[in-house]
Amino acid sequence: MTVDGSAPITELKLDRKDFVSDQEVRWCPGCGDYSILAQVQKVVPTLGIPRENFVFVSGIGCSSRFPYYMNTYGFHSIHGRAPAVATGVKLANPHLSVWVITGDGDGLSIGGNHLIHAIRRNIDINIILFNNRIYGLTKGQYSPTSDFGKKTKSTPYGSIDQPINPLCVAIASEATFVARSIDIDTQHLTMVLERAARHKGISFVEVYQNCNIFNDGAFAHFTDRQFRSDRVLYLEHGKPMTFGKDLQKGIRLNNLNPEVVELGRDYSPEDLLVHDEAGAQPTLAYLLTRMHYPDFPVPMGVFRCVETREYSDLLTEQIEEVSRKEGKGNLDSLLAGDETWVIEEEGAILESVSGRERPGEDEESYHPANNLDAHEEPKCAIRRSVLNDRIGEVRPDPPIIASPADSIQSAIERMARERRGAVCVVENDELVGIFTERDVLMRVALKGLDLEKTPISSVMTSNPITLKADATLAYALNQMAVAGFRHLPLMDGKKAVGMVSVKDVVRYMSENMAG
Amino acid sequence: MSSTTETIEPPAGRKVSLKELDQAVIRFAGDSGDGMQLTGTQFTNTSAAFGNDVSTLPDYPAEIRAPAGSLPGVSGFQINFSSRDIRTPGDLPNVLVAMNPAALKVNLPDLEPGGLLIINEDAFDKGGLEKAGYEVSPLEDGSLSSYRTISIPLTSLTLNAVLQTGLNRKQAQRCKNFFALGVVYWIFDRPLEHTLKWIEAKFGKNAMLLEANRSALMAGYNYADTTEVFTTHYQVRKARLTPGRYRNLTGNEALALGAVAASVHSGRSLFYGSYPITPASEILHELSRYKRFGVKTFQAEDEIAAIAAALGASFAGDLGLTGTSGPGVALKSECIGLAVMTELPLVIINVQRGGPSTGLPTKTEQADLFQAVLGRNGECPVPVLAASSPSDCFWAIIESFRIALRYMTPVFCLSDGYIANGSEPWLIPSDRELPDLTPVYAQDPATFKPYAREEHTLARPWAIPGTPGLEHRIGGIEKHHLTGNVSYDPNNHDLMVRTRAEKVARIAQDIPPTEVLGDSRGGKVLLVGWGGTAGAITSAGEQMRAAGKSVSTVHLRYLNPLPNDLGEIMSRFEKVIVPEINLGQLRLLLRARFLVDVIGLNQVRGKPFTIREIIQKVEPYL
Repeated sequence: MTVDGSAPITELKLDRKDFVSDQEVRWCPGCGDYSILAQVQKVVPTLGIPRENFVFVSGIGCSSRFPYYMNTYGFHSIHGRAPAVATGVKLANPHLSVWVITGDGDGLSIGGNHLIHAIRRNIDINIILFNNRIYGLTKGQYSPTSDFGKKTKSTPYGSIDQPINPLCVAIASEATFVARSIDIDTQHLTMVLERAARHKGISFVEVYQNCNIFNDGAFAHFTDRQFRSDRVLYLEHGKPMTFGKDLQKGIRLNNLNPEVVELGRDYSPEDLLVHDEAGAQPTLAYLLTRMHYPDFPVPMGVFRCVETREYSDLLTEQIEEVSRKEGKGNLDSLLAGDETWVIEEEGAILESVSGRERPGEDEESYHPANNLDAHEEPKCAIRRSVLNDRIGEVRPDPPIIASPADSIQSAIERMARERRGAVCVVENDELVGIFTERDVLMRVALKGLDLEKTPISSVMTSNPITLKADATLAYALNQMAVAGFRHLPLMDGKKAVGMVSVKDVVRYMSENMAG
Repeated sequence: MSSTTETIEPPAGRKVSLKELDQAVIRFAGDSGDGMQLTGTQFTNTSAAFGNDVSTLPDYPAEIRAPAGSLPGVSGFQINFSSRDIRTPGDLPNVLVAMNPAALKVNLPDLEPGGLLIINEDAFDKGGLEKAGYEVSPLEDGSLSSYRTISIPLTSLTLNAVLQTGLNRKQAQRCKNFFALGVVYWIFDRPLEHTLKWIEAKFGKNAMLLEANRSALMAGYNYADTTEVFTTHYQVRKARLTPGRYRNLTGNEALALGAVAASVHSGRSLFYGSYPITPASEILHELSRYKRFGVKTFQAEDEIAAIAAALGASFAGDLGLTGTSGPGVALKSECIGLAVMTELPLVIINVQRGGPSTGLPTKTEQADLFQAVLGRNGECPVPVLAASSPSDCFWAIIESFRIALRYMTPVFCLSDGYIANGSEPWLIPSDRELPDLTPVYAQDPATFKPYAREEHTLARPWAIPGTPGLEHRIGGIEKHHLTGNVSYDPNNHDLMVRTRAEKVARIAQDIPPTEVLGDSRGGKVLLVGWGGTAGAITSAGEQMRAAGKSVSTVHLRYLNPLPNDLGEIMSRFEKVIVPEINLGQLRLLLRARFLVDVIGLNQVRGKPFTIREIIQKVEPYL
């Protein structure tokens, strides 16, 4: 998770207490979840992200109660679906720091599908998987990470399921950040969580978490303090892989297989594997996920951390690029579609216009006026004028300019004083909307708004259809006909330089065609 | 095709009579590789632009490319065009164009007795007949004697016309659909301009294809004009339609447009989470093209992720939408319950198809009403709306969003395979005629309580992540009635169950009065329908009233909650009949809610009702 640039760290002054909710924590006394909650509450205030921008999403299970204890936005969803819910949250608002709290059953059994797909998309959410290798909330059935042969309530004669390896799944799904830590190693857990939070893209963290009720001591044989140094390998980027009390042991690669060696007589640190979390291929990270106690020390730390394109960025960029290329969407032309026809009063057809608002086509080619008998020069003077004369020649009056904050009252007064039917709403020299006498009727009078207090921005038409000076009369009339507009702003770039009314066009036509 | 006949002098000197019709139904049928959908669409657009009222129904196989010439590979397109206001694609076709023996075999049972049958005789060779399972050619055994059969060597005539353009034989053969279209254009006295323009626009960059298609179309038209095969052509005059600008659109297109309109008018980005499924996929295709409106489309890994992401997006302030068909709704059910519990705005489109299970994916049905109204665990009320025609889908989804935003609730918007793929002319509304859907958000931390309710609608506030001071937690576990914190208190649960039910029930106070077509004071029979059967039921009612029968109709947009005035309206009639393409789902709901002895008119054949079917089944009650 990256830090939102709009909120400098110095101004936030958040600490752990700001992230503690008023809810009593109800995990069993002695549960590993307490430690993970405490470390998360320690890490999040340091990220420089305002509290209101955090969202914690969870599924179902003991760990999934987590969001209730965080004083942030939280969504306790349904079994297995948290990565999908979180994906929607992140795509709706990419500025949010989105976290998924899940467990081995929630994330890898019922929700396995969502997990791998959230990972492969590389969406910027932090998935923290609490792995206790048991179903706790349903009181002690084996989970997808339980050992082969495990005796539980649902496997009284021992489990015949092969366990799944969460980090292998993450790496096979092309995760860009993969790490593992332990509930009781709080310093290490804090470090891993912080790195996960700062990674842009998917972050997948497996936390070995002790369930002291249904699976007590599942990890004790290598996490207990007395033998942790001999049985855990702490990964450090760029450093040779050594472990043991005096770092006298190491991991060497023998052909394609890792092996444990004693440093000293036969091997020196130069013979050892050097950890590289940023390798182009995830081969090394995958190899490390296959190292299990008792044959190997259990690796902890960041297995893999690489940068690639992030999903919510890609979506935002695509929307921006398409909007730039095709222009911001105009609802009236979308509704009109590609092919339209007009039924007149007596049931006759005026004309058929085709080919508008079609993305990916050259804009000029679907200029509606091009479809009006482009082949031959029209014989009738009106028709010729409509097809050939440019709207700039109509010489509309300069527009009345208002700012979005102006009151409706002031806009109406100016319209009345200057005897004009519409106002251009302008902000920073750019046209942002139009407010017309029709709006006075439909959006103001009918709704009984407070004219003094309501800003014009709340009743204007945003991003109105506009005209350029070189548009033909036919184009202008067509726009007016399609949507029933009586006023269209005339633009020079982003600046409104005129207001073309139906009256202007009629006046022009009568003046120029009377003779 | 009842008509008056007059004889006119044709240019060629032969006697050609011109008959005036007020309505005609044509079905184009061929192999799925024969371009029947395109042919039908061209005829539709030409007729619409000419000024007829039109209604269409495509009928294509479930298989993408079944073996050429086989019965499962037959693709059809039916169009009804009229000088009157029409509402259905027509009962029995008056004209059938059969491009091969398989198309004839599949479609002949529908052709009206005495109807015009146009056959591509080139396709009736030994291989073609065998694939369709004909032992003897129907052209020779007299089995077509009750129709006016015109047999034309369409393939070879097309080759003659087209080969000179330089296309190879295979390419040239593919133009035969336009030859057939040319023939039908002549028969119905249609202008060619529209299709010629389309050919130009479509093939403008490929002179050879442009020339070939143009030649095929013209050759077909001239063939009909100059040979003496046809002695009659027909005229269907322009319809009297409400003045204004029109376009054609299908139900699925209308749903997409309506969703974009709802987004523009609510000021919230549209988030569409979906998983490909027939017959709803076109909504995803359409919406994915509207990035310039800020529309976010998310093709999820499965149906569940599609709705879960849409709900997550709603939580974070987007307009959440998901679309699917019945099997997809089954998968989404748990998440719909979560949306009910968390009281977030969300619209779920179900384009119904034949069920249960995979059922009949490409056929229509109305059998998911129970699923929408009742299909979840717990007391889980969801408002249910249904669209009644292709273009009505536009208004139905806008209304669905209005309710979702105003009442903070998931809403079902039901369509079906028939109106999803069918099309009709649509009087294009302007942006300004659409309702304002601007939602209300929670802003003030001092007064904010996640489950405090608006007095009238009982809606809880929408507090969007990113708003300082409104941090709160929601979820699927029962909530305290104000704070939203987890609560197992029995009285609180009872209160919340009743409040959620009451919230949805109150929507009935916020909907227009039920409209009775016919005699609203009462009478012998009231037909009550919902969804895509509107065209057939309404037309049946009109035709029976025109014949002096006491039949009125009501068509429901709101299925949950049902309109409050409906019970009283039904009580004014001696019999209430509910035609549905299921075994009586609305009937059961009406009986349960209003204690009225409603009669069912049910069939489940994967096809829409014809007007005739309804009239025949209603008449015994009159």
